[in-house]
Amino acid sequence: MITLRNVSFQYEGCGEGVHDIDLIVHDGECVVLTGPSGGGKTTLTRLINGLAPSYYQGTQKGSVSVNGTEITTLPSWRIGQEIGSVFQDPKSQFFSSELAGEIAFACENYGMAKQEIRTRTEEAIASLGLDALRLRPLDVLSSGEKQRVAVASVYALRPHTYVCDEPTANLDSEGAARLADILRKLKDEGNTLIIAEHRLAWLSGIVDRFVYVSEGTIQWEKTPAQMRELSDEERKRYGLREIAETEISLPMLPASAGEEHLFCRNLTCRRKKAIIFENLNFALPAGLITAVTGKNGAGKTTLAMALTGLQKPGSGEVYIGGKSLSAGKRRKAVWYSSNDTGTQFFTTSVTDELLLHSDASPGRLERARALLKTLGLYAYKDAHPAALSGGQKQRLSIACGLLSGREILLLDEPTSGLDGGNMRKIAAVLTEAAAEGKTILVITHDKELMQSCCNFQWELCQ
Amino acid sequence: MRRGNFAIPVKLWALACTIIGISLTADTVLTCVLTVTGFAYLGAQRNWRLLRSMAVFYALLGILLYLIRFHDFHPAVFSEFYVLMFWTLTPVFLVSWDLITTPPGELASFLSRIHTPTPVILGLLVMFRFFPTMKSELRSVWLSMRNRGLTAPTQLVSHPAASCEYVFVPLLLRCLQIADQLSVSAVARGAERPGKRGSYYGKRADVCDSIWLALWTVVTAVFLVVGGVRI
Repeated sequence: MITLRNVSFQYEGCGEGVHDIDLIVHDGECVVLTGPSGGGKTTLTRLINGLAPSYYQGTQKGSVSVNGTEITTLPSWRIGQEIGSVFQDPKSQFFSSELAGEIAFACENYGMAKQEIRTRTEEAIASLGLDALRLRPLDVLSSGEKQRVAVASVYALRPHTYVCDEPTANLDSEGAARLADILRKLKDEGNTLIIAEHRLAWLSGIVDRFVYVSEGTIQWEKTPAQMRELSDEERKRYGLREIAETEISLPMLPASAGEEHLFCRNLTCRRKKAIIFENLNFALPAGLITAVTGKNGAGKTTLAMALTGLQKPGSGEVYIGGKSLSAGKRRKAVWYSSNDTGTQFFTTSVTDELLLHSDASPGRLERARALLKTLGLYAYKDAHPAALSGGQKQRLSIACGLLSGREILLLDEPTSGLDGGNMRKIAAVLTEAAAEGKTILVITHDKELMQSCCNFQWELCQ
Repeated sequence: MRRGNFAIPVKLWALACTIIGISLTADTVLTCVLTVTGFAYLGAQRNWRLLRSMAVFYALLGILLYLIRFHDFHPAVFSEFYVLMFWTLTPVFLVSWDLITTPPGELASFLSRIHTPTPVILGLLVMFRFFPTMKSELRSVWLSMRNRGLTAPTQLVSHPAASCEYVFVPLLLRCLQIADQLSVSAVARGAERPGKRGSYYGKRADVCDSIWLALWTVVTAVFLVVGGVRI
């Protein structure tokens, strides 16, 4: 049992943290911490797995205990045996490039005998269905596969509690569904699950209790049944995502839908000898938003890069405004926001980033200011882009695209890892941009985003 | 067929033999004996990829050396010295590249067996992850720069310092972020536990390993005896 009594924590050097936390998590229970970004969910997970204050330093008051033992009295490696941690971005957690080596890593650290390490590693691979990934380097796995490897590397240690911090932030719906199967299995085995998460629908049938964390404290707790009774208005007020999986009914992208801004003829992309996609013919209508869906590896990002001119297609042509444009010219006409925002910014402040490569005319400054306010970034206008959270970076990237003056925007998973409130802000901004005549293509698995702002859906098949 | 690997002590001994051989030899051209042994050594481990690329490289060096020696060929862009240097050092390149491309787990296991402190082993594992990660991050930075129009020739020529900054600042910040995430991941998985580290890997030396250990010793000794020693 994990008990937090009257806990407050403030990070060293900044005012952020949590306060007055009282929470009991019983053995075998699945508790989901939800709420807006920056509300304190991650800090709460760090207090539970002991990373705060041992790694993330700050001032802690109150008591956090595991089975009656105060967690601050335990060394980090002892906590790791009891509480396994799964983080948001699995790719930067790996110490090995091979499946078995990565899964064995924790067991190796605990100095287990070779036979024991091998038994546990093989068991974790078999239990989590990872056998097919054994011969593939970890770097080439999809985000969903990497996240399952991350869970397996914790599973091999056999902790009783799993703390997951936004484990689906980088996953598509199929990846989230497979992770849900794994978490269901862990719960059935009697493990305790504590999951900080925005996306809630995939947890249906696993979660026992939702805990809403906002402004650094627990605001309320609800059972899944109570959550389902929330009206749409209440959900929006709390900035929550859909509680249950919803079916969307978007029309498929037609062969022709009015004025075409961008169209492709026989577009083909190959990587080494493998064909990623072949002979694609489609047209994107101006002033509308098209959602591109498809399984991992279907080539959605490759398609976006080819359309933007960041990657040369094997063959075929891309027409913009009726003219076949070279890759160099397409880069001036099309904006691409990558899903990975870690390396997208080059200046020392959010404002400079928006004005990079452009004049700072009063009109433009006013537009930048309005956009920052709409996207909830105005308070960070002087902050360094690297200091922003993942969700804030995603919003900044979209703002840069909207201010770039380019008429076509390609956005790769712009709302992965965003809470309901910020997802709706992005939907509103995109709808407004489309109304101004911009052509927008969104690569997404976010059904709520698609329902909120997209006009057409197009599934890219492998 | 998958690449095999000799035990780490054999690989280290092969490296020591090639270094001793090329450092002491009086006949640089005869280093081809060590190189041929190196190729056979790669073949025995089914390291075909390295064998292929190094064989092509060595053949080119051989042709250049032949032209320089017998046809008075003088390369315009590099000196003859470099051709001879690479020819001589090829056996060291072969075995050292084979060593550093050994699965990091095997190396970590060996280090653990000889009681290397855990922080050193983790440092080694991080080092092996560093290069592929940085390669992928550098590619992302470059693509982002192209997307933002920061790679136009006029931009690169007129603002070289700013262009360098555009590459290095996001790259260094990303480095810090990855280092932080990696540290958290290690701490949460017991990396701070005191005591000897276990290992999933750890190949036991077999007959093949013993044969190659002996072969490198014999070949190096014969090579030095036949070619002469220069101290």
